[in-house]
Amino acid sequence: MPRHVEFEGTVGRFVDSQGRRAPVDLPLLAADAWAATPSAGLLLSTDAEPDARVQSAPMIGIDFSSFHDGRGLSLAVLLRTRLGYAGELRALGDVRPDLLHYLVRCGFDSFVLAEGCQIDTDDPRLAPHASHYQASVQNPLPVFRRDHVTS
Amino acid sequence: MTKAMYRYSAFDKQFVNERVAQYRAQTERYLAGELTDDEFRHLRLRNGLYVQRLAPMLRVAVPYGTLSSTQLRALARIARDFDRGYGHLSTRQNVQYNWPELKEVPDILEVLASVEMHAIQTSGNCIRNVTTDEFAGVAADESFDPRACCELIRQWSTSHPEFDWLPRKFKIAVSSASDDRAAIDVHDIGLRVYRDAEGERRVDFRVGGGLGRTPVIAETIRSGLSMRHLLTYLEAIMRVYNRYGRRDNKYKARIKILVRAMTAEGFREKVDAEWELIRASASELTDAEINRVEAFFTPPSYPVLGADVLAAGESSLNAARLADPAFSRWVANSVVPHRQPGFAAVILSTKVTGTPPGDVTDVQMEAVAEWADRFGFGEIRISHQQNFVLPDVPVAALNELWREAVAQGLGEPNAGLLTNIICCPGGDYCSLANAKSIPVAEAIQQRFDDYDYVHDLGPIDLNISGCMNACGHHHVGNIGILGVDKKGEEFYQISIGGHAGHRHRSAAIGDIVGPSVSRAEVANVVGRILDIYVEHRTPEETFVDTVRRLGLEPFKERIYAAAR
Repeated sequence: MPRHVEFEGTVGRFVDSQGRRAPVDLPLLAADAWAATPSAGLLLSTDAEPDARVQSAPMIGIDFSSFHDGRGLSLAVLLRTRLGYAGELRALGDVRPDLLHYLVRCGFDSFVLAEGCQIDTDDPRLAPHASHYQASVQNPLPVFRRDHVTS
Repeated sequence: MTKAMYRYSAFDKQFVNERVAQYRAQTERYLAGELTDDEFRHLRLRNGLYVQRLAPMLRVAVPYGTLSSTQLRALARIARDFDRGYGHLSTRQNVQYNWPELKEVPDILEVLASVEMHAIQTSGNCIRNVTTDEFAGVAADESFDPRACCELIRQWSTSHPEFDWLPRKFKIAVSSASDDRAAIDVHDIGLRVYRDAEGERRVDFRVGGGLGRTPVIAETIRSGLSMRHLLTYLEAIMRVYNRYGRRDNKYKARIKILVRAMTAEGFREKVDAEWELIRASASELTDAEINRVEAFFTPPSYPVLGADVLAAGESSLNAARLADPAFSRWVANSVVPHRQPGFAAVILSTKVTGTPPGDVTDVQMEAVAEWADRFGFGEIRISHQQNFVLPDVPVAALNELWREAVAQGLGEPNAGLLTNIICCPGGDYCSLANAKSIPVAEAIQQRFDDYDYVHDLGPIDLNISGCMNACGHHHVGNIGILGVDKKGEEFYQISIGGHAGHRHRSAAIGDIVGPSVSRAEVANVVGRILDIYVEHRTPEETFVDTVRRLGLEPFKERIYAAAR
């Protein structure tokens, strides 16, 4: 789990032991506008139904209308594991500090916190658990396939 | 003696300790004014803390209803040190405390963690505690102990990265017995697990059952999947639900509404398409993992009793029953056949007139823990009927146990009978309730206090909920009572013919018999319903059989003719 973030302005980036992707920061456009200007980033709502065309996006933002809208987590998982999206994935909208650990496990690289929220660069909320039971985008092996913990 | 129970690994211990620290920090930030009420609400709910009418309510997870005596003693200590000396057994096999201080909850969680317990995901829109048959592992009619399957699901669903923020709460129940005592047909997901002819463990998936505002019986969408695919198939179901379940209206957000909107067939196609893409992922269970978890539930080493010892035990039991009709009555409905000769499972009823159904004091908890150690292998169950179960009691010790249970107020001979009422906390405690439920239960218990009459009626499930949310499972009560609010006054709607799917009957939602009645009238209406049953029943029928045969009309006519 990343225990650190780096901030550039309002954008926080997860930093884990493997380092991170080269940061990208682009204006985000909704699907129609993005199709006309594919060099921009693509902005998706949590109920979006993206297809393989999104692979070419240099950056994707998922807009959480509320912090308890778990669709954004499934969407991130599908982008990473199903659609082969390998670029920068950012969470926007109602992003709260206690949700960050879910975001990183579902494959987000960066986030912009909701207004009024802030965290330290080594905030414990980034990684409340050293490791987890399930497979995730971040760690594709569930605990029972990691041999050191079953004893 | 090794208990047939899951024990935490170093990983589990660390995880739960980290969860306590996380929750402590959340509480501190809330108390310091750094978290809004709404944000903290979502966070505390994921750790079982409701804010109720009078005080917070903490729901502690009792995974699949299994407790060790050590754990039950810790629950007694919490009742004494942090509450008012009692706790409440819930209809989902959990334990609830009605009077904790919000700021002390992290300390309670620490006590729980010290005995391998937690309150993770006991409320909130996430995957809740998995429930099962309270006789799992000892039932004579079971294919295999379903608790390993429950434990695998518990681990998989704990702080799941993708499925902790669902459209609505999500309940999974598992059964492996020919008689479904886990009510799997009225859960978001109901699993039937069994061994096939070759000995391979298999799973049938039912989805979209549930009670609440829109009661629905689940539909089977997949049969005979190998246990290895348990978690990937669940993942496929959850992903479809998480993405497409409604989030605009909390009363239409459960999976049953989605399944109905897509049709079971349409839902199955979507899930199967999803599953084909993930079935070979690393989440596919390995035989080693299934065996590792199953090994925890290896039956205890029962003493092998010779035929002469068994016969002597039986004859002393029979003699004691002949000598004492009260004991005999208790044996008839509280002692359950066991797969091991010479042993029985025992139901300890909490349904004593004058005590809210499911409430147990710290002293009673200590007593039950001590009986579990003395008579059994230190193991206790909580049933969804809100009773304790001792899974392993030697037949020869039943009389001794009964005497002590009676002295502790846990020997009421009403398991499975009219007065063993399932009842939510209702308007006395719950801020969601439209009406009180506990006084209704008490009025019914007072009116039907003639043991011989109640025993003669045979098995009847009477369930009471104080509101639509149906925590008291009123829809599947043979007699169901629902509290409703009519212009600020408490009224009660009565239904009959519901069934949770046990006693080898199909699950069914009850039918409302007519207009709702005042609290004072409820016991009278129940009395009239029972009169009609007694008049019309055949010798082999239970109450619900008679209702199914007669239909609603004879009941409607008489109940309301008399009320006019």
